[in-house]
Amino acid sequence: MTHPQDLSLRQQAEAIRHGDLSAKELLEATLERLRSRDSSINSTPVIFDELSQVQISQAPAGPLFGVPITVKDMFALPWRAARNGTSLNLIPAGASGPYRNLRDAGVIVVGVANQHELGIGSTGIYSAYGAMRNPWNPLHCAGGSSGGSAAAVGAHLVAGSLASDSGGSTRIPASFCGVVGLKLTYGSVPYDGYFGAATTFSAPGLVARDGGDTRMLTAAMLQRPLPQQSGSGLRVGLVREPYWNDVDHEAADLCTMALKLAGWKVSEVKIENLELAGAAFLGRLIAEAGIPSSEVFATLSEPTRALLLAGMLAPARFVPRADRVRAAVRYSLAAALETVDFLAWPTTPGCAPTLEDPWVTIPSGRTPVDVPNVRQNSLANLTGAPAISIPVGLSASALPIGLQLLGPWGSEARLLDAAEHIERVSDRAFVSLLAPLAR
Amino acid sequence: MSNFEDWARATYRQVGIEVGENELVLIEMIYAGALGQLEMLDRINLEEFPARGIDLRHAPKAT
Repeated sequence: MTHPQDLSLRQQAEAIRHGDLSAKELLEATLERLRSRDSSINSTPVIFDELSQVQISQAPAGPLFGVPITVKDMFALPWRAARNGTSLNLIPAGASGPYRNLRDAGVIVVGVANQHELGIGSTGIYSAYGAMRNPWNPLHCAGGSSGGSAAAVGAHLVAGSLASDSGGSTRIPASFCGVVGLKLTYGSVPYDGYFGAATTFSAPGLVARDGGDTRMLTAAMLQRPLPQQSGSGLRVGLVREPYWNDVDHEAADLCTMALKLAGWKVSEVKIENLELAGAAFLGRLIAEAGIPSSEVFATLSEPTRALLLAGMLAPARFVPRADRVRAAVRYSLAAALETVDFLAWPTTPGCAPTLEDPWVTIPSGRTPVDVPNVRQNSLANLTGAPAISIPVGLSASALPIGLQLLGPWGSEARLLDAAEHIERVSDRAFVSLLAPLAR
Repeated sequence: MSNFEDWARATYRQVGIEVGENELVLIEMIYAGALGQLEMLDRINLEEFPARGIDLRHAPKAT
């Protein structure tokens, strides 16, 4: 008999709706799976046993009634403060905006998804709860900052998770863990009770195992239908430098093969001033980051402290220039997206590095993986546009690689059409790959 | 002590933060990398990059 957490999120919702599975049965099976499997990946350090039962009794009969999910530590819940990967209550308990939207669809929050502390890191190594690990190989990073969300979904502990994305934090772990991760358009949902409200880069992200499940979660989050349309015949733009040229050849090859399989019309695209995008992202990010209170600061890992302290020294003169470049890059991106439906490139410079050595070697040299991870992802955060990472196969070391698609503002439905099109033309070969921990 | 060390320690003391030797080495490395990237912004021609309102929720309006 199929374990309920080996069903898709859509199947779970449908089984409950048709009476084939009760919300209580699904919850019990989910809690059992979290207890039996999570110790090796540390994706969900806080589990709401009794509170989950209470939620079932209060959940509205929405499209996701009874479906268990996890929620990143960046969002306040009515019964738990948001800690943002630290050991301290940073945003008081309360129903955060993104949580409310999912709650209203009927989800059951079974636990807190682990994350890189303060969201400042793309590996998931540093967290007050301990490092997150990859369900494909626990010696490797789950990614960050939403590593707990992607690892839990990849390990079939839950079928969906609420994540967030300020510089790739949903898409990077999705790529590393072989699941789908969608960053929403900036500001498309209420930000109260969510750490993302403190930056102009962050947006909630949804993590699930395939495009259909992600669509269901996203529709609930955006509180509007996202009707499925054909993803064939779309026009895709490639930005070669640096997104394709400075990545591991396996990542580029797998992404290229997926695009060929999709049969889309592919063309080369240039985004004016893209070479300045990283500097603009950094300039404004540093200005927005600040230094947390001494109580919080004292609990942080040395690398996170160093990043914050280095930023504190940055001259302020860069900020207005960063904003001018940001505005220009947004115009360039909008112009490029008038000629194609979306842009595509590898989400990450390669597969997940090990926790022991979180560096990568790419054509430009050996570097901490955070540097190219953020470079590959920050355009969506700089501009506010939505972007998705979808799995496109495994490296020779049996670790997943993700393809990123970036579309116009508000184009979540089309990005999901594209993801589901790749699933169809590949006979679901990529989204059906099971992490060893999920077998 | 180097100029960087003096300056960094003095800056951090203003907010009550003390840093160790090893930590300062890491901070200087990160700072140097960030500054190198940020200085690209010093070289832009401001006339080519007009100050414009940014509404991140939508595509920029055509000019």
